[in-house]
Amino acid sequence: MSSQVTQKRSQALQRREDIAGYSFMLPSLIFFAGFVLIPMVICIWLSLTDSNMHTQGGGNFIGLRNFSNLFKDEVFLDALWNTFVIVFVSVPAVTAFSLWVASAIYKLKMPVLSAFRCIFYLPVVTGSVAVTVVWKWMFDNYTGILNSVLKTTGVIDTNINWLGDEKYALWCIILILFTTSVGQPIVLYVSALGNVDASLVEAAQVDGATDLQAFWRIKWPQIMPTTLYILVITTINSFQCFALIQLLTQGGSGTQTVMYYIYYTAFKLTEQSGHFGYANAMGVVLAIFIGILSAVQMRLAKEK
Amino acid sequence: MENKTGNGKVYKIISLIILVVLAFLFLFPLYWIITGAFKPPADIYAQKPVWWPSEWVTTNFSNLMNKRTAPMWEIHMPFSRFFSSGGESITLATGPTVPAVFRWLLNTIFMAVAAMFLTCFTATMAGYALAKKRFRGRSILFGLIICAMALPKQVVLIPLLKEMSAIGLYNTIWAIIFPTVGWPFGVFLMKQFSEGIPGEILEAARIDGAGEWNTFATIVFPMVKPGVGALAIFTFINSWNDYFMQLVMVSSNVNYTISLGIATLQAETSIDVGMLMAGAVLASVPIIVVFLMFQKYFTQGITMGAVKG
Amino acid sequence: MKKLLALLLIGAMTLSTVACGSSAPAAEEAELEAKEEAPAAAEEEAPAAEEEAPAAEEEVSAGGDAASEITLWTYPIGKWGDEATVKGLTDAFTAKTGIAVNVEFLAYADGDDKVNTAITAGQAPDLIMEGPERLVANWGANGYMVDLSDMLDDTDKSEIQAAPLAACTAPGGEVYEYPLVMTAHCMAVNMNAFKEAGADQYLDLETHTWTTENFIKAVEALYAHYNDTVAAVYCAGQGGDQGTRALVNNLYGGSYTDAAHTAYTWNSPENVKALEQLKSMDGIAFDASLAGGDEIAKFYQGILKMAFCWNIAQQLDPNAAGTGAGLTVTGEEIEFMSFPSETGESKLQGGIWGFGIFDNGDAARIEASKQFIKYMADSEATVDAVKAANYFAVRSAAEGTDLTAIWADNEIMDEYQVLMPQLGDYYQVTPGWAGQRTAWWTMLQKIGSGTDVTEALTQYEGEANAAMAE
Repeated sequence: MSSQVTQKRSQALQRREDIAGYSFMLPSLIFFAGFVLIPMVICIWLSLTDSNMHTQGGGNFIGLRNFSNLFKDEVFLDALWNTFVIVFVSVPAVTAFSLWVASAIYKLKMPVLSAFRCIFYLPVVTGSVAVTVVWKWMFDNYTGILNSVLKTTGVIDTNINWLGDEKYALWCIILILFTTSVGQPIVLYVSALGNVDASLVEAAQVDGATDLQAFWRIKWPQIMPTTLYILVITTINSFQCFALIQLLTQGGSGTQTVMYYIYYTAFKLTEQSGHFGYANAMGVVLAIFIGILSAVQMRLAKEK
Repeated sequence: MENKTGNGKVYKIISLIILVVLAFLFLFPLYWIITGAFKPPADIYAQKPVWWPSEWVTTNFSNLMNKRTAPMWEIHMPFSRFFSSGGESITLATGPTVPAVFRWLLNTIFMAVAAMFLTCFTATMAGYALAKKRFRGRSILFGLIICAMALPKQVVLIPLLKEMSAIGLYNTIWAIIFPTVGWPFGVFLMKQFSEGIPGEILEAARIDGAGEWNTFATIVFPMVKPGVGALAIFTFINSWNDYFMQLVMVSSNVNYTISLGIATLQAETSIDVGMLMAGAVLASVPIIVVFLMFQKYFTQGITMGAVKG
Repeated sequence: MKKLLALLLIGAMTLSTVACGSSAPAAEEAELEAKEEAPAAAEEEAPAAEEEAPAAEEEVSAGGDAASEITLWTYPIGKWGDEATVKGLTDAFTAKTGIAVNVEFLAYADGDDKVNTAITAGQAPDLIMEGPERLVANWGANGYMVDLSDMLDDTDKSEIQAAPLAACTAPGGEVYEYPLVMTAHCMAVNMNAFKEAGADQYLDLETHTWTTENFIKAVEALYAHYNDTVAAVYCAGQGGDQGTRALVNNLYGGSYTDAAHTAYTWNSPENVKALEQLKSMDGIAFDASLAGGDEIAKFYQGILKMAFCWNIAQQLDPNAAGTGAGLTVTGEEIEFMSFPSETGESKLQGGIWGFGIFDNGDAARIEASKQFIKYMADSEATVDAVKAANYFAVRSAAEGTDLTAIWADNEIMDEYQVLMPQLGDYYQVTPGWAGQRTAWWTMLQKIGSGTDVTEALTQYEGEANAAMAE
């Protein structure tokens, strides 16, 4: 009897939670579904067709042919590799660098600390296009300040064609991405380190631990949640390098990425242009790649 | 022991020096933009870079302004296509013709502010629901949100473009704003914040008979306010910089944003670096000012959300 | 709650019309109802869009009459990329016909993408100004353009030169571009630098030609003097690729396609020899950070001593900077030159520009666009339209106005005539054109970064011919 009542009550409660929950979710869900989920579903569907800019309608179903073609496409494989390089270089580099900067500045006095924080954050707010435009000028083969400085200081003898040379171009892009990515992690680490229980660190030092040991044993575990969060946002950031590629190299000099190649396939004027099925197949591959990455990160987050 | 602290001091000094050098390097692009914007052509075209403008001029800005023009604003009668005889929408008023950069700036500000308000509104409610309401399907939704967070917009480029064209938003600022609002990072952030609201307070409110909306508006919202502030600035900066959506979704000069305008000028005249730098100044200085003004809330906000994660 | 949301959306919509009013020309939205996937958020917006559908239909049924407003997208063709100049031309047209013209300016770097994006979104412009390689070989071939052959009567056909008209005509006889102007692309040298390095002896300034042998000697002399890159085989993208094509092909008499335009013929002994020669020269760099426009900029700046991406419009207004005809930014003298070849007689690349109309399914707009073309390309106003482009007219006369002597008062234009007889085959309409451009600059990048010339030519000629097959 009573358990039935409880069950009924809990059902009623659950319904109330459902209604309240979804009402609060609704506005957000409308946008999320409308401009992320539904396009994603269409993207998956189109990736299985030969859909094309020049033919109306959705195109014919061709199974996985786009995907098998993709993995025979050298440009795409290059693009995938470069995307991989960008993410797997910039994420650890950004995390390590920002941790180092943060640990070097978090004990400084407020105005100094705040000044450093602002300076490292500035490239983020300067905006990708403004940043790109100025870096393009600085990297210029003939009149760029970088070559000029390196030449006057005797580091190099002849100009280096930073953005035109396969050996350097991708690294230049990673460098710019790096400067626009470290701002937020530094802010985060500064406050995380500031929140570490000082008494624990002192206790460890009394026990004879070196600074480094104290860091790894006491501080590192405590800032772990921050680190994970930083990994997540830096990964997101690394995939947002479209503007850099489009405005600096247009995918040349060995800087093709999947993000740019999708756009290229879809809208650049070539005979393959408007091959929407193919472009969407790349999108799906990229999404899977990102999905795996996110899953790994979330697993890490749970394990801690 | 003493030796160790001595080493520590040396290390500290060295690292401080490195930091100062790095700080200058990080400031340099901005310095180069600002000085570049005021350099006379002789400095800009010099074969060796000129470190400091030989003379401060504003010709770069006037070149930029003379390059393109646009009406400062246009006020259209809503739904006027429905009843006007020619099927054209009726323009009630058109602003004076001004250098297009001003219109671009206005568009950009409008876009960033609209995206900011919409995102804060939707994400705060959704974040609260995900954190505190035990509704069915919640974990699936949250999973979807996590997965979609890192997705670059290029992935959904084609479907999104077709969708915008189908609902008549292509070549409007809204085609840039809505996908920004749909991007679920804000929801994720606000969920992290809302986790911190003690359940007892909500329970107490319920016992007092407060409705769901009342609880949200009077209890939850004030508690997550710092988070909303952070999200607001975050969204503002993000949408200001979302060059890709702007590139794909708008085609008319009058609907350009400042980033898109500058990028287009770069494509047209890669040579006139001075003019490009003037554009870069206009594109970046307003947002830098916003950042410096709200910097305190910003740093507070982003850290709170993350540390609780 | 819901009320709040509705209010918000309504507020948003009102704002949208306020701030971003000039959303889109009505049209194409007719398929709206079919789009079930339109998200819920857009429902509030939908009425606004739906109402456009009947309006658009109305316009169609009204056919025969001209629309009161059209859009023109133009690439930077001479002063057709300059807002004030174009406004003068379109204002005159509006004054005469009452048809308003909205102009958008495209750049070569991303103009194609913009047009393709707009086509995908169903909002292509009414009019576009560019050359046959885009208008005929691509958008025309894919069925987006209106056939303009009904605009050409026998008088027009006799007035317009045969070669450009042929280039503007698709294999099926449809005319997708109404040609306005043409030129021969050439190269340029910095005379001050040449004199300083003692290389001016290799130039024939009478005929503006030189031989391959002299070209090589000149580069060597320049390099010996400046000890730095003096010319760049630019290959950051497709922009200005006519220069690199002409350079490579002319050097030892190679060709780009076969005579019938059925295959790309890059991998010939002549082209291999030319590329190997270029690669072996210290003064010449294969520069993957420059596109055609950047190369011009560096030349204008005085850094590069030669430019391969040149033509008469550049000579008249170097770098479109307005700092004086035939002069670099520092006032050094620029001479235009034909591309070097073994005999000195070269095959120059032609450039043809004109107007095309996108078929937006709206007869009134097409009619208005045709009036625009007629006005610009075949009326007494053609003189101004041609002069704005800084090129030569493709026709001898327009509705009784003689066009042969419009540049007679311009010394540079007059002198430039010596190059026009060297105009080579207009092969830019070869199938697969747009696709092979990527193969070309990628190949140059590969050669620049050390790939063997024959190997690169084999691979990318293959890709170009594969693009043709698509």
